[in-house]
Amino acid sequence: MKPENLLFAKTHEWVAVANEGGQKIATIGLSAFAVEALTDLVFIELPKVGRQVKAEESFCEVESVKAVSDVYAPVTGEVIAVNESLPDNLETLSSDPFGDGWIARIKVSDDSALANLMDHTAYQKQCEE
Amino acid sequence: MPYLYNTPEDQAAMLAAIGARSIDELFAMIPADMRLRRPLAIPPAMSEMELTQHMTSLAAKNTHAGQKVCFLGGGSYDHFIPAAVDELAGRGEFYTSYTPYQAEVSQGNLQVVFEYQTLIARLTGLDVSNASLYDGGSAAAEAVLMAISSTRRYGKVVIAASVHPEYRQTIATYLENLGVELETIGTPRGVVQPHDLAAAVDDKTACVVVQQPNFFGCIEDAAALASIAHDAGALVVAAFDPISLGLLKRPGDWGADIAVAEGQTLGTPMQYGGPYLGIMACREKLVRRMPGRIAGQTGDRRGKRCFVLTLQTREQHIRREKATSNVCTNQGLFALRATIYLALLGPQGLRDTANLCLQKTRYAVERLCEHDRFELAFDAPTFKEVVIRDRRGRVDELLADALAAGFLAGVPLGQWYPELHDCFLIAVTEQRTRNEIDSWTHALAKMT
Amino acid sequence: MRNTRDTNLLFELSETGRRAHRLPACDVPERPVGELVPASALAAAPPALPELSEPQVVRHFANLSQLNMSVDTHFYPLGSCTMKYNPKRNERVAAMPGFSDLHPYQSEGTLQGMLQLLYELQEYLQEISGLDACSLQPSAGAHGELTALWVAATYFRDRGEKRTKVLVPDNAHGTNPASAAMAGFTTVTVKTLPSGTLDIDDLRRHLDNQIAVFMITNPNTVGIFEPRIREIADAVHQAGGLVYLDGANMNAILGIARPGDFGADMQHYNPHKTFSGPHGGGGPGAGPICVTEKLAPYLPAPVVIKTTEPSPDPSLQGRETDRYHLDYDRPKSIGRVRAFFGNVGVLVRAYCYIRTHGPDGLRRVSENAVLNANYLLSRVKHCLPVPQGDRCMHEFVASAAKVKTEKGISAMDLAKRLLDFGFHAPTVYFPLTVKESIMVEPTETESKETLDAFADTLIRIMEEDADLLHDAPHTTPISRPDEVRAARQPMLVWPETY
Repeated sequence: MKPENLLFAKTHEWVAVANEGGQKIATIGLSAFAVEALTDLVFIELPKVGRQVKAEESFCEVESVKAVSDVYAPVTGEVIAVNESLPDNLETLSSDPFGDGWIARIKVSDDSALANLMDHTAYQKQCEE
Repeated sequence: MPYLYNTPEDQAAMLAAIGARSIDELFAMIPADMRLRRPLAIPPAMSEMELTQHMTSLAAKNTHAGQKVCFLGGGSYDHFIPAAVDELAGRGEFYTSYTPYQAEVSQGNLQVVFEYQTLIARLTGLDVSNASLYDGGSAAAEAVLMAISSTRRYGKVVIAASVHPEYRQTIATYLENLGVELETIGTPRGVVQPHDLAAAVDDKTACVVVQQPNFFGCIEDAAALASIAHDAGALVVAAFDPISLGLLKRPGDWGADIAVAEGQTLGTPMQYGGPYLGIMACREKLVRRMPGRIAGQTGDRRGKRCFVLTLQTREQHIRREKATSNVCTNQGLFALRATIYLALLGPQGLRDTANLCLQKTRYAVERLCEHDRFELAFDAPTFKEVVIRDRRGRVDELLADALAAGFLAGVPLGQWYPELHDCFLIAVTEQRTRNEIDSWTHALAKMT
Repeated sequence: MRNTRDTNLLFELSETGRRAHRLPACDVPERPVGELVPASALAAAPPALPELSEPQVVRHFANLSQLNMSVDTHFYPLGSCTMKYNPKRNERVAAMPGFSDLHPYQSEGTLQGMLQLLYELQEYLQEISGLDACSLQPSAGAHGELTALWVAATYFRDRGEKRTKVLVPDNAHGTNPASAAMAGFTTVTVKTLPSGTLDIDDLRRHLDNQIAVFMITNPNTVGIFEPRIREIADAVHQAGGLVYLDGANMNAILGIARPGDFGADMQHYNPHKTFSGPHGGGGPGAGPICVTEKLAPYLPAPVVIKTTEPSPDPSLQGRETDRYHLDYDRPKSIGRVRAFFGNVGVLVRAYCYIRTHGPDGLRRVSENAVLNANYLLSRVKHCLPVPQGDRCMHEFVASAAKVKTEKGISAMDLAKRLLDFGFHAPTVYFPLTVKESIMVEPTETESKETLDAFADTLIRIMEEDADLLHDAPHTTPISRPDEVRAARQPMLVWPETY
């Protein structure tokens, strides 16, 4: 996916929302900027499929050697898929953050929080500050 | 003052460099009305000689296990400690160092922790060990919290009455404010009856806590208990005696998921209850829920093998309120002692120690129970401790008289188990000679 | 001259059939093990422990010890840890059989010297803290925090109050929020100001009827005494909360200011820091706590009490003597926080330390700890800025942020390079409120010469080539370890078949 087509949260998650069979499905990952800032990731604790998450709630954790970062859900809904290959291939997060490095897919029940997200240009501006 | 270097000249030079007129000025940030305006009301200073004399006189007011023949157990034991343990652990490079935050200048400690973890894993038959916790009791409580967080079952914890009563009290304290119920299964026959356990566990049970051998010295049908717990989806927390593993099946081999122990038996003096060594080992899948420090092997920049603290994101200094535990300090010095002790004993030494405990306990029981006054309280098989019933029900008098005759003869059980008010617990370690056992039997038999 | 053979792992040195410790033959009639223990409980073989000779074991550990820096061998200015000299006399005394060879379930009559010591230590700790009651049971500082929070929870429950929140400053030790969570509280973080002291306005915003405890370290973790501590305490008390003092930094104020006098309701001590019990390579510690009168009933049982009664010794013919007892009769107690009495070995050393110093000596300990820290601060502040100012208590926090920007030299680089010069590194990257923080606590048991040598070295290495520092240390037994690999592919035990 091209970052230009994604929405970004202040907390560095990216979201792509697609309409699949009448259902809004959000795919979520971490921005290249965030992955680089976290340096040398060593562990990811993926959420369980089926978990109900609320927008802005932490639903996943990524760890470097001496830091833990929460990944916050940008939307409310149910986790319908997680990227099972990530824990064993953490380098994917940095080599392809906006593609194979996706973290989870959420079936959206409430997308009102999407209004708080930024487009790529605005997000880049935040990162530069 | 014996440990200060600064001479008055040094102090003057230092104050000049700081730009302060007096030491008192350095405390100016403490508001005057909060300062203590009198000397502390504690006794005056003592020289080394005076201190040594004073402490010698305090020590003389105690009766220690070297002066009486010790048959006391219940979680702290009079096992033999080889001289090399004291000599090596007494090296200042070990005991005056701290947590190995700077791995480059702490390889000694880090390698010891790695060796300790390996020894504990092999001892328990489990995959991983941490670098130690405070003591057996708090390790048991930490194991329970770990089971709750990894199963996400917040309903209850089931524990056998045959688990050390002070461990049970500790666990109760840890659970008090978390809304998790602690259900205790009675053990009137000295061991847990499998059907009692089956009736107690349910799908809200985070874990079952059993001790093997248990507080009464009895050997539980541990594998049966573990499978009942597992069938209900609960984890098994096992408290064990490291010495017993010279003979008994390892906790990991009979189904324990988390094993904890009081490691005092591995080369640490009894020193009135602490500091001791909290041992904790678990299955690999639980490692990220494990509290405490963990060392791991890696390589340095030149590719040389080395050891570091690892998986630190579990810990309080990084994860703060979401940490697996608040534990910071461990018991490094006693993990070192355990490592040296086990290296000196080796597999055969551990087996011999365990066998001597087993044989001598059996012998002591047989000799004592030749006298009508005494009987075994439980008929379950035992290891190095047993519960003896005094048919005359005069336990306190009996033990007091035995003390006068030269014996720390046993631990009265009524304080924890009212129904066992006429019983006492004895432990017979490898140190007890036949002579000592015979004279103890003789002394107890002739008491009125 | 380093011996690298004998520092191979015990498991690599092992040789089948080798043996160190041998036990005496069984002197009682021996029965087959199978008759005494059910087969289902027996192991097929003992655990796979290494097999070594005694000289091998001794050489292994003696050589390993030499790979450590320690207080006995090096200056160890590890901030927040109070790495002071550990008196040898305390070690010898604590090893006396009259202290070290006591079983925890001996009867009181056989423990009068020990109980007297513990009773007196309770009294000393109360006096030094300005608080009314003491429990010696907790096993370490963090354990003391947890115990005190349980005391608070039980106190509020007893009063019928539901209070759910614990406040901690943003520069608090990680143990504070972790302890609060374990005790069932929600943690709320209070901001500190750039000056390093608490943002009292932010504190006031959080004070409501849900506040149970405010935890504060004072002197705080940047080495500053909170000047408005009493105002802070008053505000917390007015909201119905309790003030907990994290006693990690008591080394700055012994005999100078007392937590009870500046508003604390509870505190713990770290006797392994303040009272010189050695750190043991990461423990043991102890975490005795002191509390005010109203909280005393909730302390863990037992505590040591003193009575005066006729002596049981017939030769004294019933003369009145002091007798010491374990008091379990505490119906409001939170219960036990561990098995047995506590980390007595550490407490014996703390007692020795306090008796060695007396009132004047303890005060001079703090005076010199503060003098040494301020002197070192004055020596290094020109090249390594100290954001919180020119004065400190027993430790200070410098920042390498400037040299990081200018030369790319981080706090970690400086820490690692110091090792090459025979100095243990200060604490780095704590507290998080200071960028590239370097936390230096020299303690009172270091000489001006040592402090000068350390300052000279620090100044000198900041002038060195950045690459030299990135690769430091150069002279230690190993270079920087690959921590990423250690965490990504954890190898936590040596495999049985290698």
